[in-house]
Amino acid sequence: MSVNLTCKLSDHYLDSNQVSSQRQLAISVSASASADSNNAPLNLCLVLDHSGSMGGQPLETVKRAARDLVDQMYPQDRISVVGFDHKASVVVENQLVDRIASIKEKIQSLKASGGTCIDDGIKLGLQETSKGKDGTISQIFVLTDGENEHGDNERCFQFSRLATEYNMTLHSLGFGDSWNQDVLERIADAGGGAMAYIPSPEVAGAEFQKLLKRVQAIGLTNANLILQLAPHVRLAELKPIAQVSPDTIELPYQIEGNAIIVRLGDLMTDVERVVLVNLYISPASFISSYPNTPEIPILSAQVRYDIPLQKQINALSPSLEISADLVQDFTPKIVPQVQNHLLALAKYRQTQLAEQKLQQGDRNGAATMLQSAAKTALQMGDHNASTILQNNATRLQEGTLLSEADRKKTRIASKTVLQPPPNP
Amino acid sequence: MITCPSCGHSNPDGAVNCEACFTPLPIIKNVQCPSCHSTVLSDAKFCGHCGFNLSAVTVSSRDQELNLESGVISPSLDPSTKSFSILPIPIAMSNSLPVENPEGNAVESLAANVTAGGQTLPNHTEEIFVAELSTEPVYVPANVPLSVKTQLQEFTASLLHVQTNLTIEIPPHLPVVHIGKTNTVIPPDIDVSGFPDSDIVSRIHADIRIEGGDFYFEDTGSSNGTYINNSPLPVGNRHKLRAGDRISLGKGDKVSFVFQLNG
Repeated sequence: MSVNLTCKLSDHYLDSNQVSSQRQLAISVSASASADSNNAPLNLCLVLDHSGSMGGQPLETVKRAARDLVDQMYPQDRISVVGFDHKASVVVENQLVDRIASIKEKIQSLKASGGTCIDDGIKLGLQETSKGKDGTISQIFVLTDGENEHGDNERCFQFSRLATEYNMTLHSLGFGDSWNQDVLERIADAGGGAMAYIPSPEVAGAEFQKLLKRVQAIGLTNANLILQLAPHVRLAELKPIAQVSPDTIELPYQIEGNAIIVRLGDLMTDVERVVLVNLYISPASFISSYPNTPEIPILSAQVRYDIPLQKQINALSPSLEISADLVQDFTPKIVPQVQNHLLALAKYRQTQLAEQKLQQGDRNGAATMLQSAAKTALQMGDHNASTILQNNATRLQEGTLLSEADRKKTRIASKTVLQPPPNP
Repeated sequence: MITCPSCGHSNPDGAVNCEACFTPLPIIKNVQCPSCHSTVLSDAKFCGHCGFNLSAVTVSSRDQELNLESGVISPSLDPSTKSFSILPIPIAMSNSLPVENPEGNAVESLAANVTAGGQTLPNHTEEIFVAELSTEPVYVPANVPLSVKTQLQEFTASLLHVQTNLTIEIPPHLPVVHIGKTNTVIPPDIDVSGFPDSDIVSRIHADIRIEGGDFYFEDTGSSNGTYINNSPLPVGNRHKLRAGDRISLGKGDKVSFVFQLNG
């Protein structure tokens, strides 16, 4: 098991006359599946909301979805289930998925009552998961349908960050329309996982399956991207690093010495993570010290990762050097793939700005911003997202408020590609 | 600093996409109109000076511009180098310059005088200064064999004022160069009011038109007329200038220039 690492500049050519040029670097990272090796066993924890509001069909559907999930797992995988209302309790202790019947029975025993305290649920989930984390890929699914009314959101984020320190990944699933998309998004982003939206009980099963498929494809964990910039290259001032695929996440980074370290989390074998780095290159100092060199180094990229199957930590991928070509008579030659990643980030950022404006009460500004996000989605070929965003923009212009469901749809539309562009 | 039109974020120079919302930023630079070489903004559709349709020349405009420029220069280069080799400057105006050195000194002292009393004609002193400075590089190739290294020549043509031996460069990238004296109607690009006997020159005296790399001289209705190689140039007629042509503004050959092409 090793890492696939490829890098692409938004434009390989650089104007040697320009003082400072902006470039985006798309770094694609995935685990390369070798034919003979399987992925490490999964250590899955379901943290399920069984507050009073889940009563009736919602909880029944979730329980059925959870039971189906257990059926999909392999005997060497581990499972644990934590239920929470305004306090949390262990439903299924961390164990191998071998006694399926008894596990299902315990899940079935969940009853709806009480309030919502997400942080206690996550905390107990972390404890249960840590019991089986050796040699496994630890994943936690947090499902909730409401606001964190009995808990503290800040505590949620702290637990999410803690999860990544223990090399566990937190995914969040929002059920229905009354959960807080900001909180769940931050939990998933901080926890290195995905955010999913279950608008109605029927699709709960499908969303669970989708997430399970994703975590089953994880080959490597705890991946960190290490970037070393050349002296004439600097990061953009504002949010320079973001993941754009499979979903859009603003990535925080740390600087250690002259290296920039970005945590990516798990690496999948089938889906590559694409990180977009926004850079400024000032070629003048390089040209003066190395005249007549057509190639200008930009940065070197490397991935540090754990291989759970071989219990190996901090393995290092070969370092990849990225350079650009210096040219005198510069004409932009934009790489279409990188352009698409750029649009993905543009769509996300524009939607975020629209939400900010909406919160400030600037509805016209929000509508305009949503409209440009819709346009960006259209440029990407993502017609579904474009339709959602445009509808919301129109609704804002008409003077009606966005429903909670609309806002969640908007968030998901901005964060992921709802419709992959047709392959040429 | 580029302010994003979409979200208002201030981006540093060189940004192509807004750092905050990744909207493509308008990159407005000063570019040259491929037709008249005046400065226009890169997002303009038409040149504000000559009305040239800039949108017809799209992304690769810079390349085309370069080609155009070299295309303009190269034909004018060839005849000039030829004319230089056949007709060096001192020969071209030998009749008007019997003794070179005293005249040259006179020029310098004159220039000094003008600069000393320059308060009266601030614009003009500058011009003379420029001219004075540029006399040297112009004269070098006449004495020394042409240097091997190719250099970018800013000016393609100049006028040598015969009476003072001063060289006036014809401003490049102008389709029409106005010659005359300070006035409020058509400000002259070449102001001759500092030269001796300039009182016979009209304020709006003549134009040099540059078309397709050729230079044309025309009288714009001066009081005392214009003479090319000692024969009168009627108003409305154009004379295609060749290197060595002698242009006199007014009668009596008192304010005279020799047209030169720089190689």
